[in-house]
Amino acid sequence: MSLRKIFLVFLKIGTFSFGGVYSMIAFFERELVEKRKWITHDEFMESFAIGQMTPGAPIVNTGICIGYKLRQLWGALSATAGQAFTGTVLAILLAAFYLHMKDNPLLQAVMKGVAAAVVGLLGSIVYKMASRMITEYRSALLALGAFMALDLFRVNPIAIMLGAGVLGFALYWRD
Amino acid sequence: MELLRLAIVLFVINALTIGGGFAMLPLLQREFVNHYHWLTNKEFIDAIAIGQVTPGPLTVMNAFMGFKIGGLTGALVAMAASYLPCIIIVTIVTKYYLRYKELWVVKASFAGIKPAVVGLLAAVLLFLSHGEVTDPVTKGIAVVSFTVLTFTKLDPSFIIIGAGVLGALVFR
Repeated sequence: MSLRKIFLVFLKIGTFSFGGVYSMIAFFERELVEKRKWITHDEFMESFAIGQMTPGAPIVNTGICIGYKLRQLWGALSATAGQAFTGTVLAILLAAFYLHMKDNPLLQAVMKGVAAAVVGLLGSIVYKMASRMITEYRSALLALGAFMALDLFRVNPIAIMLGAGVLGFALYWRD
Repeated sequence: MELLRLAIVLFVINALTIGGGFAMLPLLQREFVNHYHWLTNKEFIDAIAIGQVTPGPLTVMNAFMGFKIGGLTGALVAMAASYLPCIIIVTIVTKYYLRYKELWVVKASFAGIKPAVVGLLAAVLLFLSHGEVTDPVTKGIAVVSFTVLTFTKLDPSFIIIGAGVLGALVFR
């Protein structure tokens, strides 16, 4: 497996995958397991599990893990570069355009509608995460505590997450 | 100096956040908007929209924010700083996966962090919606966006682009 090939396949994955984690995961599996047979289904599932239990974006981490399995550190770097390339280039172009046109009334009108849609999107993410992760009283209390710490007391969210990790350790170590 | 600070902030946030791309938003909002004033709240929301309509992970929004702070160099620094901790941690975990998987310290702590992330994101949502969802049209867009994205599998990009077109027609 050449590094160039790893880069190109992840470039394809990073360019044509829209629509959230699950459609991206399906795309990963089709490209890497079914079409190219670079890794087995089990290796893929393991990579996905690692992607979810490490910090950062799970999709990015799944790619890093697969790249590492294929060609160690250079494989991981090629996979990351390929996966991030298109999105990064587009984001930079959009940023340049956005900053240039900032005072344009048409762009402002567009972004006013967009902002409202983002609020709805975040609401939907919160709803989905809550229905998956808040399953009993301990998780409900942790969520409520974190909400109040940030909303009412403006505690730094990094501190809140670290605190939740310690509390989780205390609450769940018996399980 | 500004770029060094940007790199450190993104490195720390990416190294600490468990629970997906959206889980980073509360931390990003705090550092980029409230603490360093690199972006306004409005620009932060626009960055989320950019991260969502571009292909690949939401992390790409960091390139957008980096560009606002330090041009092309800023964008590249932002992406490198976001991916570096992931590359370090994931390669180590991949190597020692079988042992890491059984680490109950990690498991128990993650069980605490994940619900907390939901609470944090809810607080940020409340905060962000104040300035943006003000009149009947924006309220309507937010409700439709929430409903469609919660109960169908439609790609969020379509909703965001659709809302942009509607915004152009209504608010101009």
